[in-house]
Amino acid sequence: MALTTVDHSALKVNQTGIVATVLVAFIGSYFYRPLLVLIPLLAIVLLLGTFAPRLALFKQLYFQVLKPRGIVKPRPVQDRPEPHNFAQGLGGVFLAISSVLLLPVPVLGLALALLVAVLAFVNLAFGYCLGCQIYYQLGKARVIRA
Amino acid sequence: MTTQLWALAVAGTVVLAAAGLEAFRSARARRLAAGATGAPAAEPYILYFTGESCTVCRTHQEPALAKLEGVRVEKVDALAERELAERFHVYTLPTTVVMSADGRALQVNYGYAPATKLDRQLAAARSSLTLEQTATA
Repeated sequence: MALTTVDHSALKVNQTGIVATVLVAFIGSYFYRPLLVLIPLLAIVLLLGTFAPRLALFKQLYFQVLKPRGIVKPRPVQDRPEPHNFAQGLGGVFLAISSVLLLPVPVLGLALALLVAVLAFVNLAFGYCLGCQIYYQLGKARVIRA
Repeated sequence: MTTQLWALAVAGTVVLAAAGLEAFRSARARRLAAGATGAPAAEPYILYFTGESCTVCRTHQEPALAKLEGVRVEKVDALAERELAERFHVYTLPTTVVMSADGRALQVNYGYAPATKLDRQLAAARSSLTLEQTATA
């Protein structure tokens, strides 16, 4: 598969959005429990964005608002979008599981959402993408064509 | 304790367990790969395992490798050359292997390795080469 240009600023904005939303849901729910609804909403946003990039809320915020106004500068890199999409989808799946767990076992639901936020933060701060590593492992095991 | 604190404790435990597991996995792979052999060369060189899906390779590892002056870097696609990748127990990308001139793996770095670290490892590889040459002379 050929390399294409991936704007890494869009990925960073996406990761920032994930971390911020989970943190608001986590801290905010201590004071106002209904804020937990942000977690299933985030799951929907990530899953929609994985299958229809036009519907990726945080990326659209970057492309439609932040980039045109010069608030965030573009950072094009020769890359493949598939591992990043896979990682985003994985985050969405984990948040969907977290959402299901929130009612019967809120501790596990919140813990899972926090883990997604931690991984998004590690990717944002250090460039380590666990989802991309899993993508490589699946390619190595010939489960997907990586 | 509130739900939030318990959740924080659970997530923290999982993160620590994962970090410990990764450290164990990396140490085990490093031990298994130690002494693995590749092609001999005139001087110590670097085997650099990468792949198309590896972003860190392009954004971090390749600029770090470019900083090493006068060092031969042999780029290997880990998915295309599975046998070679297996020999060095490559389980993550990027992986860099500092090879001695006679083709033995001296140091294996799983994950991003900064230029300073690689430089240090290469210097150690060169000095061991010099020691061997002195001993045989």
